[in-house]
Amino acid sequence: MPELPRGDHMRLEDKIYKWFDDRFKLKELLTPIIKHPAPEYAVTNPLYCLGGIAFLCFLILVGTGVFLAMYYKPTPLEAYKSVEHIMTAVPMGSLIRSLHHWAANTMIAAVMLHMMRIYFMGAYKKPRELNWVVGVTLLLITTTFGFSGYLLPWDQLAFWATKIGTGIAGSIPVIGEYISLILVGGTDIGAETMTRFFAIHVMILPITIAILLLMHFAMVRIQGISGRL
Amino acid sequence: MSLIEIEKHEVEEESHEPVRIRGLPFFPHFLLREVVVMCLVAGSLILMASIYPAGLLKPADPFDTPTPIYPEWYFLYVFGFLKFWTWNIGPIEAKVIGVTLPMVLWYGLLFLVPFIDRNPSSDIRKRKIAVALGVIAILGILYFTYYSIVYH
Repeated sequence: MPELPRGDHMRLEDKIYKWFDDRFKLKELLTPIIKHPAPEYAVTNPLYCLGGIAFLCFLILVGTGVFLAMYYKPTPLEAYKSVEHIMTAVPMGSLIRSLHHWAANTMIAAVMLHMMRIYFMGAYKKPRELNWVVGVTLLLITTTFGFSGYLLPWDQLAFWATKIGTGIAGSIPVIGEYISLILVGGTDIGAETMTRFFAIHVMILPITIAILLLMHFAMVRIQGISGRL
Repeated sequence: MSLIEIEKHEVEEESHEPVRIRGLPFFPHFLLREVVVMCLVAGSLILMASIYPAGLLKPADPFDTPTPIYPEWYFLYVFGFLKFWTWNIGPIEAKVIGVTLPMVLWYGLLFLVPFIDRNPSSDIRKRKIAVALGVIAILGILYFTYYSIVYH
């Protein structure tokens, strides 16, 4: 943190910074974060970008998702019409929904490639075992996000792909029936399923992924980025 | 000025103890790289979203099964394995194995990777088994993805 010039000739941004620094000790809090060393090979090797790309996609998904939630109506009668409305009538609606779609696919690809890098570089070894476990959970949550978002537009693809997906999950021995019952909320895909998928997609999964991402990043910060290939 | 002083100070401190890593500060070096990549990715996403908008088919109709229906690309291998596995093992039906193996066993193994692989080395030349298994897993996923598309 630069030392601030004293007196009345401070620049506006310095004044604003000082106002917060006087109250929150920003200098003490931020210096260890912004000065924390990143290994040189992590800065120069593009393979180390994959986690960051996944996180960027996540941020885009949050932003565009909030936008979509303002217009979307999660009932079988209204859902399709509201998505059509977003695509045709809402300003920038088509772009934002398409961005949500592309960011979701890119995020899943980035998470998978990120996991492959960690695997082949052996970065999951001591002391990072638990961060690998959190990471695999994040992969599961990311794909579940994709699966739960699939049903929401309530078009032919959405309906039938969900039918196959819940059917597959339902065939797992012992727990399958319960998983199917929890997801579908009845005997067939309908209003109950939609409410559940919407709640999972916009409430349960976002809260879970936010907590796990914090854990993931905190562990990277504590344990450092792993060594060279 | 003081930015440079802090860096000097850190360098001095490091020279007293054994150097563990050659590092650059998170800000601005690491973050700048990250922001450049983020701009490129965000730009590409906006481009893709404008050229290929997200699709919307006809409204859902429970009485009209469309053909073919594919799951999302990241589930194709699960679907492909289900199609591929047609052998009952004892009293367990083929369908149950086809579902359980990729969903439970595959993800279970993924979770256990750091506890199965006790080899402390992270040098790729000293991890031949782990690397070979990783390559086999990737080839398997690619094969079953291909299988699910061709033998739909």
